[in-house]
Amino acid sequence: MNIRKLAWKNLFRRKSRAVFTGLGIFLGIGTFVAIVSLTARMEQAVQDKLDRFGANILVVPRTEELRLGFGDISLGGAQVAHARLTMADRKAIRSIELSERLRSVVPFFLTAADASGKDLVWMGLPEREIAMARPWWKMSGAPIRERGEVILGSEAAAALDKGPGGTVTSGGRKFRVAGVLQPTGEKEDGMVIADLGEVQALGKNPAGVTFFEVAALCKDCPVEDIVGQIGEALPGARVSAIRQVVESRKAAVDQFRRLGMGVSAIVLAIGGLMVFVTVMGSVQERTKEIGVLRAVGFRRRAILSLLFWETGWVSLLSSILGALAGLAAAMLASPLFGIEKAGVALSPALLGVAIGMGLGLLGTVPPARRAAALSPTEAIRSL
Amino acid sequence: MKPFIHLSDVSMLYGNNGTIAAALRSVSLAIDAGEYVVITGESGAGKSTLLTVLGGLQVPTSGAVSIKGVDLSALSADRLADFRRETIGFVFQAYHLLPYLTARENVMVPMSPLRAGAREKAERADTLLCSVGLCGKEDRLPSELSGGECQRVAIARALIHDPPVLLADEPTGNLDSATGEQILDLFSELHRSGKTVLMVTHNRANLSRATRSIRLRDGLVAEDGPLMAPYQAL
Repeated sequence: MNIRKLAWKNLFRRKSRAVFTGLGIFLGIGTFVAIVSLTARMEQAVQDKLDRFGANILVVPRTEELRLGFGDISLGGAQVAHARLTMADRKAIRSIELSERLRSVVPFFLTAADASGKDLVWMGLPEREIAMARPWWKMSGAPIRERGEVILGSEAAAALDKGPGGTVTSGGRKFRVAGVLQPTGEKEDGMVIADLGEVQALGKNPAGVTFFEVAALCKDCPVEDIVGQIGEALPGARVSAIRQVVESRKAAVDQFRRLGMGVSAIVLAIGGLMVFVTVMGSVQERTKEIGVLRAVGFRRRAILSLLFWETGWVSLLSSILGALAGLAAAMLASPLFGIEKAGVALSPALLGVAIGMGLGLLGTVPPARRAAALSPTEAIRSL
Repeated sequence: MKPFIHLSDVSMLYGNNGTIAAALRSVSLAIDAGEYVVITGESGAGKSTLLTVLGGLQVPTSGAVSIKGVDLSALSADRLADFRRETIGFVFQAYHLLPYLTARENVMVPMSPLRAGAREKAERADTLLCSVGLCGKEDRLPSELSGGECQRVAIARALIHDPPVLLADEPTGNLDSATGEQILDLFSELHRSGKTVLMVTHNRANLSRATRSIRLRDGLVAEDGPLMAPYQAL
């Protein structure tokens, strides 16, 4: 017989109380692990989705404003580019140190050209990358599937009075209208969108690029580092992060995290309170027993040890079960939260077990101290 | 030479709802090793309080208690617990056995905080249980034992550290007269083996086994004297 065995025996004697104490920790840790696991996966999922939703870095040629004037007479100004961007720059961007973080590098070429007798801006980008670069586009008709096809912005389609299946002529060539964009509220509404090579040919600039849109996967990586590295790779270019996009992604993910932490904290506090109440009740119920133990020579430390062992067993067991249940719940609930990759994350489970143990032992401190401070005579009373 | 147990001018006051009651009033006693002392008195006379003070379970409001030359008031709570474990065996009227432990485990409880081997502890407990007449009942729970058997387990528990002093509070109070006699026989045996026994009782019939009687009244020692021819009843 030793303190550990005494604690274990008492737990078996008071099974319902032990179960009730454990239930608080089980529910608390189960909820905590489930929420933390789900939040972590949701963060990842949200980040992935947001990363897929357009670019967050823009690469344009570095320009300078050239002021023209004579005396006090201003003749306006002109943007003078230091260097033009070309398709070769795409490789340079792909070669940066953080290249594995680059989901896409899409070149765009803009030129003003005739479209069935009207001057319109033509926007070219690789036809296979349109869906990735502009996933939010909705259109009537179909996307570009082959050379010789174009998409019209809603305003351009109205101006040309063309719809899907119509024809647009430019530079002596005929282009079939594959689809018409629904209004986006962007400048694209007034443009003719075609494959990059065809727009470059119309603009007589076969390798020219007006700008690159870069989509960087930026979970836990500062977008500034990627911007800096692209800037070093392309000294003649101006590289800038689209702060609004980056910040809104960060805010969305942070909100998930905060919500998860808040709910977890409340559940854990309730679990701790349950431990405190049940152990306090147990001490009240066992006052006489504690008095007898003190009378037969148990030091205060031995009484503390006895109660901590009891709660320790319960906390350990219920924390492990709670963590396992939490992981299972997180896996089962993952599809409901739009999480595609439902893997097992061990770190929340280990953290949960540690917190459960800590919570159980912390909740035991006040009642255990009270028990240890009991006077043997007062405890026994009948003596 | 200092007596084995010595109370010097011990008073014990209790405060309750603004009033102070004295359970013991300037009690001085000297008890030698090997005495069998019966403490009698009416309810509220201070018998149990005297026993708790003697056993180091309560610190008196004033005065000093020493056992084996050790001043109990000079000991810290933990040292006092160690002293109780090593020097004093308690037997309670209501046995106070732990209901979820077997007879053997109950006897071993005072050894729980100690680093002795499990087998050694169990062997010692079994020997003691046999010595109090409970051979073969080591694995029974208190609920499976009679009142007399429970009290025997409690006595075995009190003896687990072979203490020189046994303090018993109405050990036959919950037992029928025949079983009570058997328990008193057991105390007589322990006394003969050299233990100092102090027993609180209402029952003056218990005096027949003792060597000395102390009668308390209103917290004062009303009578204190030797009894003639102990063990005459045996």
